[in-house]
Amino acid sequence: MRDVAIIGAGIGSRWGKYSGSLIEMMAKASLSAIDDAGTDEIDAVFVANMGAGRINNQTALGSALIDYLNLFPAVGASIENGPASGATAARIGYMAIASGVHDVVMITGGEKMRVAPGPVVTDFVATMAHPEAEYIHGITFPSLGAFLARLYFEKYGVTSEDLARVAIKNHQNGLKNPHAHIQQKITMEGILTSREAKLNNPMIADPLHLYDMCPVSDGSASLILCSMDKVQEFERTPIIKFAGTGQGMDTMAVHEREDPTFLKAVKIASDQAFKMAGLTREDIDLAEIHDAFEILELAELESAGFYERGKSHLSIREGETELLGKFPVNTSGGLKARGHPVGATGVAQLCELVWQLRGEAGERQVPNDPKHGYAVNFGGFGNNVVSTILSRITG
Amino acid sequence: MSEHIPFGYKCLNCGKLHYPKHGRCLQCKHREFEKVPVSSEGTLITFTQLKAPPSGIESRSLFLGVIDLGDVRYTGQIEVESIDSLHIGMKLVATWKQVRTIDNRSIYGFVWGPP
Ligand SMILES: [Zn+2]
Repeated sequence: MRDVAIIGAGIGSRWGKYSGSLIEMMAKASLSAIDDAGTDEIDAVFVANMGAGRINNQTALGSALIDYLNLFPAVGASIENGPASGATAARIGYMAIASGVHDVVMITGGEKMRVAPGPVVTDFVATMAHPEAEYIHGITFPSLGAFLARLYFEKYGVTSEDLARVAIKNHQNGLKNPHAHIQQKITMEGILTSREAKLNNPMIADPLHLYDMCPVSDGSASLILCSMDKVQEFERTPIIKFAGTGQGMDTMAVHEREDPTFLKAVKIASDQAFKMAGLTREDIDLAEIHDAFEILELAELESAGFYERGKSHLSIREGETELLGKFPVNTSGGLKARGHPVGATGVAQLCELVWQLRGEAGERQVPNDPKHGYAVNFGGFGNNVVSTILSRITG
Repeated sequence: MSEHIPFGYKCLNCGKLHYPKHGRCLQCKHREFEKVPVSSEGTLITFTQLKAPPSGIESRSLFLGVIDLGDVRYTGQIEVESIDSLHIGMKLVATWKQVRTIDNRSIYGFVWGPP
């Protein structure tokens, strides 16, 4: 198999509410990645999207994007894997190049969710749940997040303050990310301990408050992948290697998991990615973690093997995962502040790692010359998870 | 057997009980199952009060939980007055009721409440 590099990364416009069309929004990110790579000679385009057929009345987005941007004779397809669509599309792009079928592949993730009213978007996301055992009963993703949080509170002594600490950290990072949907400083007083906190931060799915979960966003992100043996043709240095990829599965109905607090698919995906990259957890300098709910940042860090089970909340109490801590997590602001346009999230996580590893992350650049970054993109409620490791190999 | 008693799908090879249904056994990959009644009383494992229900649910707030029936678990709505009446480990029993509408069709399922 051939090694694969990432030579371009782009998020064309600030996430949040986008007034143009879905394809225009994805085109902006794509052109930004093309300009970053310095090439538009692309063999294939994989578009990551979860719900355009349902909420934007548009399907076959790979064809649409190639047509709109005149990327002919590139070929393409649309990849749907729930909120893990982004990293899944990147993984498929990796496979397409590693196998020798294509040399240069563009991955563009995009989702335009703010066209629909809140309860409709909530219902659309809930269609990922088990149709008979979960969905028909009114189960939504915030309720699955709440089930997990309550078990963590009960079993490990995690508190609402711990979840708020994660949110405050991610908002602090988001303030330094010009692409972030929510650019707002939040405080413990403002969201939890003052009298106004009840109004600012209402309970959505007990014990989860509004600020314990990510917003609903429009947004897009794009990457250009290239075979390592062709990378010298482009002058994009330092070279970022697509060093590890892994994917893991679990039961669809969360109640069928023997221990619902352990995210088995995160462990499987991570173990595979580390094995492929030939790295250990200690080698990783920063991580992008899928915090659709702040409890997931804690649980995923444990299931991925960065912290012992039931211990990751101690790291947030000690500031270890802050931008200047010893293991920065979600330097982009995470899903909490950057936003969560479902198909785009996994792609944007990898964009952030690329910029950090190149030393191009601006105000939110982590110090100490990071070499290896890890990302986890969490699909379903953890029944389909993709982990990726990127490494800087020159510069 | 009546539809209105909680049930599981018992593997005809190894005996493992499943809920929901699978095409192959999660333990032995066998393909044949028998639908068998399970206990209609169980223990609450985790729960929430959802104040942002999806479209298709009429009430503005919903109590939801995971109930362990011994052999299988169910996820569903719970009928109580307030979240203060819920705690992990409490006993709940099933009744058959309308749970929501989808495209104007009434959907029925098990709803849980204190015995
Ligand atoms: Zn069996």
